[in-house]
This record gives sequence, structure tokens and C-alpha cells, in this order.
Amino acid sequence: MDLSSLSLAKNEIKEELKTADSLAAIENLRVKFLGKNGVLKRLTAELASLSVEDKKQVGLVINEIKQEVETGLALATEQLSTQHKADSLEDFVKTLPGKKPEIGHLHVTTQAIREIVEVFKPLGFTRVRHPEIDWEYYAFEALNIPATHPARDEWETFFIDAPVDPKMSRQVITPHTSNGQIREMLKGDLPIRMLNISRCGRRQSDISHNPTFFQFEGLVVDKGINISHLKGVLNYFAKNFYGPDRQIRLRPYDFRFTEPSFEIDISCGICGGVGCKLCKGGWLELGGAGMVHPNVLIAGGVDPTQYSGFAFGWGVERVYMMKSGTRIDDIRHLLGNDLKFLEQF
Amino acid sequence: MNVLIPHSWLLDYIKTDAKPADIANALSLHAFSCEKIIKSEDGDSLFEIEITPNRGDALSVLGIARELKAVLPRQGFKAEWIEQRALKVSEGTTDKLEVVITDPTLVPRFSAVVLDNIKIAQSPTLTHQRLLKVGTRALNNVIDVTNYMMFDKGQPMHAFDYDKIGGHKMIVRESKAGEEVITLDSVKRVLPAGVIVIEDGDGRLIDLCGIMGAKNSEVDENTKKVLLFVQEYDPQRIRKASMSLGHRTEAALRFEKGIDTAGILPALWEAVEMLQQTAAARVSSPLIDIVNVSKPEKMVAFDYARINYVAGIEIDKKTAEQSLMDLGFVIRDGKVLVPSWRYDDIDIAEDLAEEVIRLYGYYKLPNTLLSTPIPLTSASPSFYWEDRIKDMLKNLGFFEIYTTSMTTKKLAGSDPVEIANPLNEDLTSLKTSLLPQLKEVMDKNQGYSDKIKLFELASTYHKVSGTLPAQPLRLALVTKGLDYLNVKGIVEAIYAEMRITGFSQVEIKDYGKNVYGVELPFEEMVLLAKNTGTYTPVTHFNAIKEDMTFEVKGTEYYADIILKIKSVDSRNEKIEFKDLYKNALTLSFEFLDRNKQITSEDTKTIRENIVGMLAKEFGITLKK
Ligand SMILES: [Zn+2]
Repeated sequence: MDLSSLSLAKNEIKEELKTADSLAAIENLRVKFLGKNGVLKRLTAELASLSVEDKKQVGLVINEIKQEVETGLALATEQLSTQHKADSLEDFVKTLPGKKPEIGHLHVTTQAIREIVEVFKPLGFTRVRHPEIDWEYYAFEALNIPATHPARDEWETFFIDAPVDPKMSRQVITPHTSNGQIREMLKGDLPIRMLNISRCGRRQSDISHNPTFFQFEGLVVDKGINISHLKGVLNYFAKNFYGPDRQIRLRPYDFRFTEPSFEIDISCGICGGVGCKLCKGGWLELGGAGMVHPNVLIAGGVDPTQYSGFAFGWGVERVYMMKSGTRIDDIRHLLGNDLKFLEQF
Repeated sequence: MNVLIPHSWLLDYIKTDAKPADIANALSLHAFSCEKIIKSEDGDSLFEIEITPNRGDALSVLGIARELKAVLPRQGFKAEWIEQRALKVSEGTTDKLEVVITDPTLVPRFSAVVLDNIKIAQSPTLTHQRLLKVGTRALNNVIDVTNYMMFDKGQPMHAFDYDKIGGHKMIVRESKAGEEVITLDSVKRVLPAGVIVIEDGDGRLIDLCGIMGAKNSEVDENTKKVLLFVQEYDPQRIRKASMSLGHRTEAALRFEKGIDTAGILPALWEAVEMLQQTAAARVSSPLIDIVNVSKPEKMVAFDYARINYVAGIEIDKKTAEQSLMDLGFVIRDGKVLVPSWRYDDIDIAEDLAEEVIRLYGYYKLPNTLLSTPIPLTSASPSFYWEDRIKDMLKNLGFFEIYTTSMTTKKLAGSDPVEIANPLNEDLTSLKTSLLPQLKEVMDKNQGYSDKIKLFELASTYHKVSGTLPAQPLRLALVTKGLDYLNVKGIVEAIYAEMRITGFSQVEIKDYGKNVYGVELPFEEMVLLAKNTGTYTPVTHFNAIKEDMTFEVKGTEYYADIILKIKSVDSRNEKIEFKDLYKNALTLSFEFLDRNKQITSEDTKTIRENIVGMLAKEFGITLKK
């Protein structure tokens, strides 16, 4: 060991100190130079073999190197830690949530109506709206529902406190969108592919019924319309609204304004049609449909020997709640107007 | 309504190789939805079946068995009908009943017979078990027979203690309002007018007809003579009475859907036979059978072409005819005789088409999409604007709210349309404004956030003399945590989105505590809306922008100030309100010359002119 090799080592150490870019690297250097088996300990040990004169000189240089290493390490540590503070704050900011613009929420019913309209649009159905408060004539009489029918009594339908019209009878809150069938036909334009979506009212309130709710009513009147068209259109709706693997089924039913009448079921999305707790033997009821009764066509000014048609009227909320995924268990939430409910949609 | 039908009971009528699951499936596919099969303790299967309102004939074991006879063969099963014996019971002469019917439409058919020598006891086990399966408790051998026959044949019956009928006389009439009767369940019922009742010779009401018998004439353990009573009542009167009394009995539910008139006497004789066997009964009177409304044979044209037209495919004629015959129709000279139990249900060719096609199987019909030309109809522009404005408000952070059309009188506004038969006190009137209910939603959600924005787009309802109420669509906003000018700005933005200019001032309601509400006439706005803009050529010259602050007095109208400033110079391209601090009004100006680049000298002149004009016209000064 001589002084020249020692000064060379000193320069190397200086350079090496500059490379420390983390606290861990500094710690490694500290061990390497100042540790128990470090460079400086080794150099000090080697002093023993030197002459007294050399010992003195070399000892001074070793001390210099030691001081330099210590200050160098301290400096690097300080630099790194201040540098690190700046870095970590920036990193922390990146972990914070973004400041969202205020995005509101459309009501579930609006979303449901839009999805329904989108499914029927490509099939040529045009959306219309007819009066919510209408004459008993359009809501019942013209639909082949006689005055003695239970739907026309005061326990099922809301009547308006207004004078009775000799021709049109009483005013009612329409209990279904089917008044639109007559009003649409009376416009006089054939053929018809109508989608009437409107608010309705019925005297009932429980977990699956609100006294006010929305219905969508499809009406097709054209030449040569038969049950297979009804099946085709409703099957198209079911597959596009619920999913391509879902099936529909027609069951005989009874409505005064259609003949034949059907209840339309859709295969259960949970069990795939095998039968489970949520369905009735693998099927769920979608709603009613049927071939327009000849008396209804006549009331609408349409010749039943030339034209035929089909119609369906289903609950908007009900149909939407049956989509797996919404998991709304009580239809009354929809009019509860709790923002904590509405913000989920 | 749903009925419970035990599988073992069906086997009284029909012999089949179909298992209970097959029966349920065949019913669901061709007739009625079988919602459940319930296993009973003794291993029997109980079908829970939903019967549609037109099919009162199927509210019995007999009715379901008749349907199975037709539908099981369509699913490849045997269905052999077990012929029922025609019963013949000799009549008696000792006892009599005097009957007065005030209005023949009350009771289309009145049938009864008196039985003596009655020994009250328990019913045999089979009767017990069957009643239990359909959800009825056994009481004694007489009452059980009447219940049993209702479930078996769909014929509700009643048994009176003959000796408790004053003067052995019955007057069938309509009730007067306020009359009282204590029914078998020991409940005192106060009647409205128009309920069918029976008064006896002592002037007492002894029956709430078709709903429940009266306590004062009930069969008890001491009964020796029974008047067995099988009727057909006016369905409408029964429903009305049962609904208004809130007493929906199994009998009422059947009577109001109409019962098979032709089935009355067979059921009566069968009940008599059961009572002979189980209660030692003897017939002690002649049969009383009063037919007030006769039902002639009903024939409907058999229109084979129509059936195929409705189905959209060709169904073999023989198959069609066989289907009808299996359902009990009789084909005679190209016409079809309707069976008595379907009398009120089948009227036209389409009704027969339904019978044939449902037996053929709806599931076998193809799915066909419409192939005729799409009608040339155009949608109302309202839907476009509803969607667009709803989206706009949503993206401005609004919650969309739906409230009920009906509300309380208090919230409905002045002179609202009223409901004649409200469901409850909270839903008595139709709203004339959207704001009160929307404000209520705001109040309810107070704690949700400091800043809440709500809107509703819906109809309001307004009386119109002599015709339907006006039902215009309106748009209401209610906000919390926004200041007045923010709310006004949103309203202006809506008008701008619809490109409506020159709208009249809308009133923004100040509810206090930083809550504001405003209602817009959406339907009228749609009429004024334009969804395309008008092009103004874009110039490549630059505008010079600059703010100026004036001291206003507060007595001026902002619109007047702006109008006057605009008239000062055509190069006033844009003037916008920026801020108002105390009486310092800051306006942002944009000066633009469309013919050449505007210079700072130009704007200096314009500015001086504006300041001069404002000082002269309004006494407004530029703030230094
Ligand atoms: Zn399921």
C-alpha cells in the first residue's frame, strides 16, 4: 500500500458515493466502507506493516478518507430524504379519487322506457302517447268490456269526480294503455304499428303494484296478421331485452278486447327453465297479449273482414324488474324517491 | 283466482296414464297455468291452478277433469271419461216451502228440496280428507256435503234448518240500506242497498244470498229437517255485495263468475243421495225448481277458414272438430252447440278458433316477424326533446324524480281534478303543478348532500268544463345549495338547448334556505323548439375582449341596459353579464368588425360611446 494507490481509492470512493440513489444504497456503501469488514478497517489493519513515518502519513490520509465518506454519506442521506418527500406526495396524490363532475341520474322508469323503445324501433313501431285521463268509452266500452265487468267497478279503477258524458260515460284514470288502441285506429291511418307508453292507475298498492305505474302497449293492425306474428314480435322482444337464450311461452288467457288472448311467460333467467323458488315451474309471467277482438276493430273504424291485428300491454317497471341484475325487490321503491335508491341506477 | 285440485279426486272422473307432472304440464300448455304441485301427507298431489275470470266452469274438480279429457290426448296420454250415474230420487209430499221472488233477475234459477229424519253426525273420512285438502274444515255431515259439492261440481249450496224458517216462507228480495244480518261466522253485517237477501215469514233476514247464510237459520246438532238450497244468482249483484261488504267467500267467488245452470239439479240430487247415506235423510217435499231466466240453446258458426287465418297455419279439419267435441261442443249442420257450462264464454268464431288452436298448441305455431311495409308514421317531436332535455339535466347533475299523479288535496294546488273513489287520503286529487311534490322529495332527502338538484317531467291535470282535463307535460326543477342566478342560468340553458328565444319570464320560487323551484311549460316549449341552428358566416378577423364595471343604482332593468348598449354600435358582437358585487356590475364585451380587423382605437371609440350613452340614458357611471 502506498499513497498513490490510496489517493486512487479515495477518488473511487468519492465517485461511488455519488451513485447512491436510495437509502438502501447508502446503507450498502456505509457497510462497504465503514463496516466491521469494511475498506477503512482493512486499510487501518494494513497500517501495522508500515514504517513509523509511513504510518503517520498514510494514517492521516485514511482519516481524511473516513471523514469524507461520513460527510458524503450524510449528505446523500439528507438529499435523498428531502427528494423522497417530494416524490411520495406526488405519488399520494395519484392515489386520491378524481374530482368527478356532477353526473345526475335518470329514473329507472325512464331507463326502462328507453330500452323498450329501442327494441321495438327497428321493427317499425312508432312511439305515441294518448290521454292518461280518458273517457270510459275508450278505456272500456270500445274495448268490448261491458259495464258489468269487474274492471269497471269502483274497486279496481279510479274514476274522476266529473259529470258523466251521455256518449262517453265517466272519466277514468286509464287502468291500462289500451285506450290508445281505439284512439290510434280512429286516426284513420292503416296499417298500424304503435307503441303507446303512458302512465296508468289502478286501485291497488302492494309489493308488486303501485297505484300509478307505466305500461307499454303494442298494437299491430294490418292485412293477414295472425298469432305467429304476435309470437314472432314478442319473441324478438324477449331475446333482445332479456337475452338470446330466453324463450317465451303462450298460455291461454282471458281479456275482453282480444280473442284469442294469451298470457306470455318467459323462461326463468335464474334456473334456465328447470324451475326454482323465483319462478313458476321454470317460467315467469311477462304480461298479456292477444289477437285484437273484431268488436274492437269495428269500434276503431277498421273492417275486421279486411284487417286483423294483435296487441300486448305490459308493465314497464315489472318487465324491467324481471331483468336479472336490477334485483329490485319491491316495486314501491320506484316511487319512494329516496336519492340513495335512485343513485344506484 | 286459484283453485286446489287433488289428483286422487280427479280420478273419480277420469282414467289416465298421465302422471301428476304430465297433467300439470298439459294443463299449462293447453288450458290453465298450473302454478304448483303440492304433495299432501297421504302422498296425494294437489294442483294449484290459476283459473281465468271467464272460466268459472273450471273452478271445480269436475271442471278440471272435463278440461283434462280434452288436453291429455294432445300430449299423448289416455283420458277415459268415467260416466256418472244419472240419479233419480223420489220426491216427498209432507213438507212445503212458500217462495216469493220480487225480481226474477235476482235468481235466474231457484232450486231446493226439504229433507227430514236428519241425524247430525260426523262425515265419513273420505269427505273429511278431501275437504281438508282443498282448505276447508269439516263441520258436520250436512254442512260438509254442501261444501263438498261446491268443490266437486262447482255448485255452491246452502243448508237451512227447515224448522227455523219462519212460516216456511221465503221472500227473495234486494236489501234496503242499513238492514242487518248476523252471518254464520257470528259477524253482524250492516248491508248497503241492493244485496240479494231472503226474508222469512217472521220478517227476519235468514240468508245473505250467495255469500253466507245467517246464524238464525243455521244447521246445528239438533237439526231434524234441512232445506237444501242450490241456486243461480245474478253475478253482478253478488260481486257488488261481496266487494262492498269485504266478505269474499268461496261461494261468492263462484257465483260472481257464473255457474252452470244445467248442472244445478244433478248436483242437488247427488247431494241428496250423500245425505241419505250419511245423515239418514229422506226427501220430504216436492222438488222446488223455479226457472226465472231461460237459456235457449246457443249455436255458433263453425268457421274453419277463420281458425286457420287466426292460427297462421292450416290445422286439419278433423283435428279441429275433434278438439271441439272433446271439449263438450256438439257439431251440428256446420254449427257448433255450446255446452251449458261454457254458455257465457263462447260467442263468436274467434272464440272457437281459440279453443281449437290452444288444443293444437300455441307452442307449435311458428314465430314470424312482420313482413308487410313499415307504416309511414312519424313520431311526435316531444319524445326527442324529452330525451334530450332529460339527458342534459342528468349531465348537469340532476336526479330525475317520478311522483304520483294523484296526491293530497293540499299538494294538488287550487281547484284540482278530484278522484271519485280514492284509494286512501293521500291520493285524492290530481296535481295541478309538479312543484309541491318535488319540493316534498327535496325535503325528504335534506340530509343527502349540501347540493341537490331534482327534476320531474310529467303531466299536470287541469279541469276543463264539459270535457276531459287538460293534461300538459311540464318540467319542474327544485334545487338546494345553488344560488338564484345559477338556477336562472339552468333555465336559460334549457331554452338555449331547445333554441327558443324570446320566451316570457319564468317565475323562480324561493322556498328559503337556499332552495329554489321552477316549473316550465314543456309542451309549449316543444312547439317552439328547433333542433337545427341557423348559420352565421364565421369571420377570420379577431375580436377584442374586454370587461367593464359600472356603478348601477338598482332601479334599472338589465335587459334595457343591454338593448341600449347593443344599439350603440353594430360591432358590439357579444355582451355578457359577468358579475354583480354590491352595485358594481361587470360586463364582458366582445368587439368584432366583420369587414376588417378591429383595432384598439376602434374599441376606444366604441367604449367611450357606450359610457357616454349609459351616463346620459341611465345615469350609470363607469367605475374607476
Ligand atoms: Zn327459475
